[in-house]
Amino acid sequence: MIRTTPQRTPRRRRPSIRLAVAAGVASTMALTACAAGEAAAPGAASEGPVTGGTLTYLEHQAYTTLYPPAAGFYPNGALVNNLTARLLHQDPETLELEPWIATALPEVNDDATEYTFDIRTDVTYSDGTPLTAENVVANLDLFGLGDQDRALIVSEAVNNYERGEVVDDDTVRFHFRAPAPGFAQAVSTINSGLLADATLERDSEGFGPGNAADIIGAGPFTVESEQVGTSIRLAAREDYAWAPPSAENQGRPYVDAVDIVIAPEDSVRIGSLASGQAHIARQVEPQHEEQVTSAGLSLHAAQTNGVNNGLSFRFDHPLLQDIRVRRALIAGIDREEVVSSIFSDAYPLATSSLSSTALGYSEQEDAYAYDPELAEQLLDDAGWVVGADGIRVRDGQRLRLVVNEALPQPRSRDVITLVAQQLREIGVELELFQGDQAAQTAASTDIDQIQIYHSMVGRADFDVIKSQFSIDNRNTLLNEGADGQPIDAELEALLQQVASEPDTEARAAASAAVQAHLTEQAYVLPFFEEPQVYGVQPQVHGFETESVGRPTLSGVWLEG
Amino acid sequence: MRFALRRTGQAALVVVATFVLAFLLLQALPGDAIVARYASPELGLTAAQLDELRAVYGTDQPIWVQLWHSAAGFLTGDLGTSLQSGASVETLLAAALPSTLLLASLGFVVAVLLAVGIAVAATNGPGWLRRGFRSLPPLFVSIPVFWLGIVLLQVLSFRLGLVPVINASPAEALILPVLTIAVPIAAPLAQVLIRSIDDTVAEPFIAVARSRGAGPGWVLSREVARNALLPTLTIAGVLFGELVAGAVVTETVFARSGLGRLTQEAVANRDIPVLQAIVVISGVGFVVINLVVDLVSPAIDPRLRRAVHA
Repeated sequence: MIRTTPQRTPRRRRPSIRLAVAAGVASTMALTACAAGEAAAPGAASEGPVTGGTLTYLEHQAYTTLYPPAAGFYPNGALVNNLTARLLHQDPETLELEPWIATALPEVNDDATEYTFDIRTDVTYSDGTPLTAENVVANLDLFGLGDQDRALIVSEAVNNYERGEVVDDDTVRFHFRAPAPGFAQAVSTINSGLLADATLERDSEGFGPGNAADIIGAGPFTVESEQVGTSIRLAAREDYAWAPPSAENQGRPYVDAVDIVIAPEDSVRIGSLASGQAHIARQVEPQHEEQVTSAGLSLHAAQTNGVNNGLSFRFDHPLLQDIRVRRALIAGIDREEVVSSIFSDAYPLATSSLSSTALGYSEQEDAYAYDPELAEQLLDDAGWVVGADGIRVRDGQRLRLVVNEALPQPRSRDVITLVAQQLREIGVELELFQGDQAAQTAASTDIDQIQIYHSMVGRADFDVIKSQFSIDNRNTLLNEGADGQPIDAELEALLQQVASEPDTEARAAASAAVQAHLTEQAYVLPFFEEPQVYGVQPQVHGFETESVGRPTLSGVWLEG
Repeated sequence: MRFALRRTGQAALVVVATFVLAFLLLQALPGDAIVARYASPELGLTAAQLDELRAVYGTDQPIWVQLWHSAAGFLTGDLGTSLQSGASVETLLAAALPSTLLLASLGFVVAVLLAVGIAVAATNGPGWLRRGFRSLPPLFVSIPVFWLGIVLLQVLSFRLGLVPVINASPAEALILPVLTIAVPIAAPLAQVLIRSIDDTVAEPFIAVARSRGAGPGWVLSREVARNALLPTLTIAGVLFGELVAGAVVTETVFARSGLGRLTQEAVANRDIPVLQAIVVISGVGFVVINLVVDLVSPAIDPRLRRAVHA
């Protein structure tokens, strides 16, 4: 529920020659305009990346764990993404995979139950131990099988894992009980960040706050020091020389260090960024965007390439079993008003349950049109008559529904408040479930407490739609009956197909079928394609995000 | 002596009541630490797996058993382990306490200085000045700590650039938080101080002192100050609670680590052992400070001494 990412806007600039020249001219002009006494390094920007300096990065919350399968939470992911290397790398723009620790894309058998990787032999972890075939297998065994005794969970991205096998010194093979077409992408995500042998032995607590400096990866940065709950200092790894081929920077990170400072209060985080006390801040809320841009900073809105921010209607609840009620909710909510009055241009209106940049996206034309008259007609037909206070009643029961507050997502409370006003017009009472994150989580799987679930999930693979809706995963529709069997078996079968068809085209077709089914049954109402929005100082160059919008800091350099 | 014993006994009772009440109230919060940490849909654990984790952490036992374990632990100095991070509660407190104590004690000193300054200006000097300063405490009392912190940041740090917030040196990092926490403490202190100065000045012995030729400075420092101190001391003890509450907000706004921040996170994560320890420590602090105030009062005011012995 917490992973997101965006990548949509003009992806960050790769310092192209043209840009460098432009920057050079600009800085020359700036110099000319300034007092003549300034003997600044002439044209620092035009000479391309500068090595050195400390980057200050403002984070919204403190991290909770660095165990990669549980690192979807953004503050966790920001660290794991920069501390670990992975077998493969996914281009955040094209979503194509390329080698990283593996020397080539894996060889996959016909039914996608066996993956063979050839791996580099020149990579070391930051504690000096070599990254070996045995170590890679130990990593994936842990991520694919978990360890209940140490409270280490199975990675959501790795399905049907059976075992790993060391073929020889530079070859590893993974075996699956059933087709696992998402595995190649899975090993490129932060959830499969490779860890040194010593780190793999830690338990759940050992990955928690206070242990960051002991989490050993093979990425471009290491943790130099940590003040629990306040700040973390990352140091560049001088001998890092195994960046993915597409990376602009093939060597050590340009900056010497990164100070990650936790500033939970929005106004403080944005204020200190805008006043020049930090270089980059994560989570710029839509209402703060102007404050950032008017201070001369740029916004980096990274798309999250997954299931859109929206509502899941839990169709097994007595009030929602009638499809006419669900269709009425969809017709009674004005999404365009929600997006235009609460969000900004960085939040594109959704056109399917999946983001238009997600793998498997299939546009659902006219599926979410705002038509309050139709909504009222549908509710009339379903036997709901407007009561004395304007809320519809049937057999003495009020049409009252409860929705959770998606605390990790932007402005969920504002969205729900506006939607509740809109639904009141058609005689539906929508109530926000009050409570902090722990209370929301506790209630989230109880259909008696929460009938409509507000959420999103980011992952740049076909599997993402299964992550959101399958009874094995987040199960946002609560599609599991008392007998453990899916209530809508067709939906579950389609989702399983997405995650098991060995062939890419077949997976795309299955994903499209899921989206069509969700539309047909009026199970979901997507609002917008959720980005991760960063505010970036003009002297920061080369800032990029991975495929779900987590910061990649090895290519960042600071001007002057 | 009997008085001292009785007050100490009452204080101990308050601490025990705090412990039990805190424990019961914390159990009543929706969700538990296991839910907070492991039930996120992203992790995809089943209800049975969650129950196993509850058994591992001992949170599946009846509430009275848990209360008993917790109480026994506290008596032997074992505060338990955090359910969220697995660190021992003592370690977490040891890391958080110094920073908060520094913030609170500096905040208190600044508050006292501020209060004395306001009180002196509000009781001496020209009429317009007195009126002006007399309206300050009600104003300060009604300012929310949260708002004050943000305004101080916006003006002093973001607009004027006088003090950095991010990557500040330890001394710089204290300036704004100390101011933020001092203002709401200073207000009631100043109010009480002004009031007792007014009362004391109206006493006949002041008129006597003046008639014998004592100047305003002498009267203020020798006669008025001593008599006005007692009510102020009493209210200062009560204000300790305010200081703890202020730390929660101040530390969050200024992104400082400390007891307040620990509290906020422990509540969010239903980290009962940590919360329990914080509540008990705060309770003990509150009780001890007020006990000390009660015990030293007779030393300051001879009239109380007689009353106690009577």
